[in-house]
Amino acid sequence: MHIPDAFIPLPQAAVYWIIALIFIALSLRWARNEMRDEKVPLVAVLAAGIFAIQAVNVPIPWGTSGHMAGAALAAIVLGSPFAAVFVLTLVLIVQGVIFGDGGITVMGANIINMGVVAGFVGYYSFQGLNAAIKNPYPAAFIAGWLSLFVAALVTAVEMAVAGTFPLELGLISMGLYHAVIGVIEGGITAVALYLIYTARPDLLPQPRGVSG
Amino acid sequence: MIEDLFFIEKQTYRKSIIHDLDSRVKIVLCFAAIVAMVAIPYSPLVFPVASAFIIFFLVLWALSRLSPVVYAKRLVTILPFGLFIILVQVFVQNPYYTVFTPIADLPLGLHIYQESVQFATILLLKFLVCISFIILLSSTTRVQDLLEGAGRLGLPAEFTLTLGMMIRYIFVFGYMYRKINESLATRYFRPFDSHLSYRYRLRTMAYTIGTLFIRSYEQGERTYMAMLCRGYGRESHLYIRKKPVLLRDYAFLAAGLLVVIFTPVLAWLSPSGLI
Repeated sequence: MHIPDAFIPLPQAAVYWIIALIFIALSLRWARNEMRDEKVPLVAVLAAGIFAIQAVNVPIPWGTSGHMAGAALAAIVLGSPFAAVFVLTLVLIVQGVIFGDGGITVMGANIINMGVVAGFVGYYSFQGLNAAIKNPYPAAFIAGWLSLFVAALVTAVEMAVAGTFPLELGLISMGLYHAVIGVIEGGITAVALYLIYTARPDLLPQPRGVSG
Repeated sequence: MIEDLFFIEKQTYRKSIIHDLDSRVKIVLCFAAIVAMVAIPYSPLVFPVASAFIIFFLVLWALSRLSPVVYAKRLVTILPFGLFIILVQVFVQNPYYTVFTPIADLPLGLHIYQESVQFATILLLKFLVCISFIILLSSTTRVQDLLEGAGRLGLPAEFTLTLGMMIRYIFVFGYMYRKINESLATRYFRPFDSHLSYRYRLRTMAYTIGTLFIRSYEQGERTYMAMLCRGYGRESHLYIRKKPVLLRDYAFLAAGLLVVIFTPVLAWLSPSGLI
C-alpha cells in the first residue's frame, strides 16, 4: 500500500503533505497532553517494535502472504487514533528514507492512508463495535480488517485522482487484495490484543469489554 | 524489510568519496533529484531528463565504490508494488492522453495502447530514478548520520529525538526479530507449512507479534525510566554537534545541484520540441 514516488504529481503530493502535517501536529499535541511530553520516548521505542511487527510475514489460506500495518493495534492499545498517526509517521519516515518503501514526495499521502485513515477507522470502529457487542476481540478483528480495507480504498482513490491508476480497477484490485490481507490484520490485532489483555492488562487504557 | 537493515548499514561503513561527504549534502542532493524528477510532467520530456539523471546516479554509484550487486539486491526488494502499477498501465487508458492507438488486441477484450506503453515507460523511468537516489543515500550514509544531518538541516527537535530513539531500537528489534525466527525454526515451526492447521499457525504468529508488541512497550518503559534517572524532561533534546560544511562538500553540492536543476531546464528549452 506504500505509494512510491512519481505516482502522484507534485502539486497533489504537496496537498497531501499539508494535510498530513496538520495531523502530525495534532498527534504531537496528543503526545504532549495525553502521554505527557516525557513519555514520548516510550512511543518512539514502540514505533521501532511496530516496524519489526510489520516485517513478520503471515500466510493467508489462499496461498499468498501479508503483513500487518499495525495502525489499529497501536490506536486501540494506546487509546487514541493520534497514537497511530504518531507511530506510523515515524515508521513511514524510516521506511521511505532508509528502505525506499514508499516515496519522499508522497510520504504525506502514505501517512494519511496508513496513519490517519487506518488509525481513525481502526480506533473508532473498535470503540463503536466494542460498545455494541461488549466483546473486544471480534471488535478488534473487524476494526483491524476495516482499517486496512478503507485505507486501501483511499489509496486507490488517490491514485485515480493522480491519473496513474483507473478508479474502478483500483477499487476492485486494491479492495479485493486488502479484503483478503485484512483477515491477517484483523486476526492478529484480535489475538495480539488478547495476549496483551492477559499478560499486561495495565497497558490498556480501558477495562476489557467482557466480564470475567 | 527489517532483515535488510544490517545489510544496508554494512554498506554505509565502507570508504569512498561519497561515503565521506557531509550527510547534509547527500540529503539535499538526493531529495532535490527526487523532487526534480517528480516535478516533470508526465510527458516525453521525462526521457532525456531521466536518462541524464540515471547517468548522474551511475557516476555517483561508481564513485561510492559499492558493488552493482548491492544496488540490484536493494532494487529487487523495492520494485514489486511499483512494477505492478506500471505493468497495468499498458492495458488501460489514462487522463494524460486524448487519443489511444491499440497496438495489440488480447483475449478478454484487452488492448495494449501505444500511448499507454509510453506512459508506463515514463512512470518506470521516474520511479527508477527516485528509488535509485534513495538507495544511494541510504547505502552511503549511516542512519545516525542521516538523523544528525536532518537535524542540522532544521528538522524539529521533537522529531530528531523521537526518530533517534526509534532508529536506535530498530536495530535492537532487528536482532530480536532474528532471534524469534530462529526460535520458531528450532521448534520446527514454519508459518507456511500447510501440514499444520491454519488456525494454529495464525495463533502462533499472532502470539509472536503480540509478544513483540509487549516487549517493545516494556523496552520503551525501561528506556523511559533510565532516561528519567539521567535527568530527562520536557526540555530534553537530542544533542547534535555543530559541524561546518567543508569547501569540498559545498563544491560537490553545487556541482550536483547544477546537474539536477539545469538538466530539466535544458531539456525543456531544447529546440527538439520535447514538450
